[in-house]
Amino acid sequence: MNRVLTCLFWLAIALVLTFITLPLAVVVAASLSPSSAVTFLPWEWTTVWYGDLLADRWLQPFLLSVKIATVVAGISGVLGVLAAYAVVYERIPGSTAIMAGLLSPLSVPQIVKGVAIVLFLSIIGLQGVLGTPALIAAHVVLALPFVTRMAATSLANFDGNLDRAAQSLGATKRQRLQHIVLPMIKPGVLSGVTFAFIISFNNIPLSVFLVRPGDTTLPIAVINYLEYSLDPVMAAVNVASMVFILAVIFLFEKVGGFSAQLHGGSK
Amino acid sequence: MNSFDIELVSVSKSFAGIPVVQDLNLQIPRGEFVSILGPSGCGKTTTLNMIAGFNTPSAGDVRVRGKSQNRIPPERRNLGLVFQNYALFPHMTVAENVGFGLRMRGTPKAEIGKAVDAALRSVRLDGFGSRFPKALSGGQQQRVALARAIAPKPSVLLLDEPLSNLDLKLREAMRIELKEIQEQLDMTFVYVTHDQEEAMAMSDRIVVMWQGAIAQQGQPGSIYRNPATRFVADFVGRSNILSVRRSIPGPTFLELCIDGTQIVLRSDCAGNNAVQSCCIRPESIALLNGSDSGTGLQNRLDGVVRRIVNLGAHVELLVEVATGLSLTVLVPSSRSSLVPELASTVTLGIDPQDVQVLSD
Repeated sequence: MNRVLTCLFWLAIALVLTFITLPLAVVVAASLSPSSAVTFLPWEWTTVWYGDLLADRWLQPFLLSVKIATVVAGISGVLGVLAAYAVVYERIPGSTAIMAGLLSPLSVPQIVKGVAIVLFLSIIGLQGVLGTPALIAAHVVLALPFVTRMAATSLANFDGNLDRAAQSLGATKRQRLQHIVLPMIKPGVLSGVTFAFIISFNNIPLSVFLVRPGDTTLPIAVINYLEYSLDPVMAAVNVASMVFILAVIFLFEKVGGFSAQLHGGSK
Repeated sequence: MNSFDIELVSVSKSFAGIPVVQDLNLQIPRGEFVSILGPSGCGKTTTLNMIAGFNTPSAGDVRVRGKSQNRIPPERRNLGLVFQNYALFPHMTVAENVGFGLRMRGTPKAEIGKAVDAALRSVRLDGFGSRFPKALSGGQQQRVALARAIAPKPSVLLLDEPLSNLDLKLREAMRIELKEIQEQLDMTFVYVTHDQEEAMAMSDRIVVMWQGAIAQQGQPGSIYRNPATRFVADFVGRSNILSVRRSIPGPTFLELCIDGTQIVLRSDCAGNNAVQSCCIRPESIALLNGSDSGTGLQNRLDGVVRRIVNLGAHVELLVEVATGLSLTVLVPSSRSSLVPELASTVTLGIDPQDVQVLSD
């Protein structure tokens, strides 16, 4: 009986994983398609489509997306840590309300947010910032709850006795933040920052309202391209951005080691 | 020059209007090992936190070496602190942990290295410097915490139940080690614990706290032999505590009429007729055999053995000496031939100097 249950358990997991990864596998296969119609013939494949990726048509949006995502990750990382510090560590008055406020963007659909931001900017006469500045601002609003939440959770799990121990050893508040608190919450903050980067890099619903024609982010370029054609180049672009995201996650994991959070926070 | 390392002068602390420590006066001379002993919630940790600076007294003054500390933040008090959960910095090696205090003060590197080595040697962990705390056992981690606290040479070391997370054998070994380290460093230790054996084993002086106030303080032996109150008698060691209905001061003895019985016990203590209770340690009650009449001065009680519990080193008897009144008697196992049978009648002898009068 037990064995049957174990089998069913693993079967269910396998099905879920297949369901998640199969579309990705299809995209990979399509990007290797030998003909310009998207087909899948495992015995006949080519990498020729990947050559197109270096064309300006894809390279420019990619670089813009990386730039925006990097800035968004940086800004929301700093803001998120500061917010979590004020709310969780210092427990400033009204901290619960502030936390709720910081997390509130999560409860508004992205399309609604996009429209709201465009309307807001045009009402106050700042249409000029549409494009990169508006994209960065909007993505920060979107990503901030994730970073704040992650940093707040790390801080809440932080053992106050470590802080007191450092204090009794003569460490000033600045020294404690630098040597104890920040290193201890670093894995949580870095995983939040990784989230922020990916959220920004992949975003469509907000970006679609905020990009300038001819100066688009990668997902928007993909959408635009899809309106007219569906070919293996498309698939190649998606595979490339998937690989890029995986590389980013891997890199942050190497630097920050957020898996270390699972076993006590040390290197 | 003031010879007290720590003085608490009429210190009170309340949280949200609820008093936790009330009008506490305590003086700790330099080099003394003092334990603050009490059940949880008695205010002992709050007292320690006020000395460390993490809690500010609602009233009164905390002085370290004669200097009021009320406006001095914890990081400038130069006190070492050891926690129950060790609180080692998990992202630093043992050596970095131990050197942390000196590093924060900007001590030169070479000097830190020497101090770290010396501190690790004094807790017998030389050679462990490059390991991470996670790779050490609980006992080793606690020793690192100790080394970390003593490395900057604080004037006083505060220890908050530092052995409670260790298993019994290790705890017993660490008691002796802690005491040795304290003597070696000649440092004032303030040790907070709820474990009376621990306090007994290490302290020069025990301060028993109850309900936010000092119930009694003194040397371990004198607290054990002469508990002042019902609470101390009950909390420190084991006791037979008897309610006294009436006490009659006599020429040599104080006669205590035990509540609810016809029993009259003689006590060596000075006392008046307002005595309300007395206590007798289980090991000071003797089993008298028929031939041994004892001295005429002894209190003699007849009773029936109701329960026998073997505790290894001792056998514990519960002897009913009157309806509703039973006394616990400890007999060393080495004298187990004396142990009577269940339900047999025995005679108990109690020396009047072992009948201790309590103040409440």
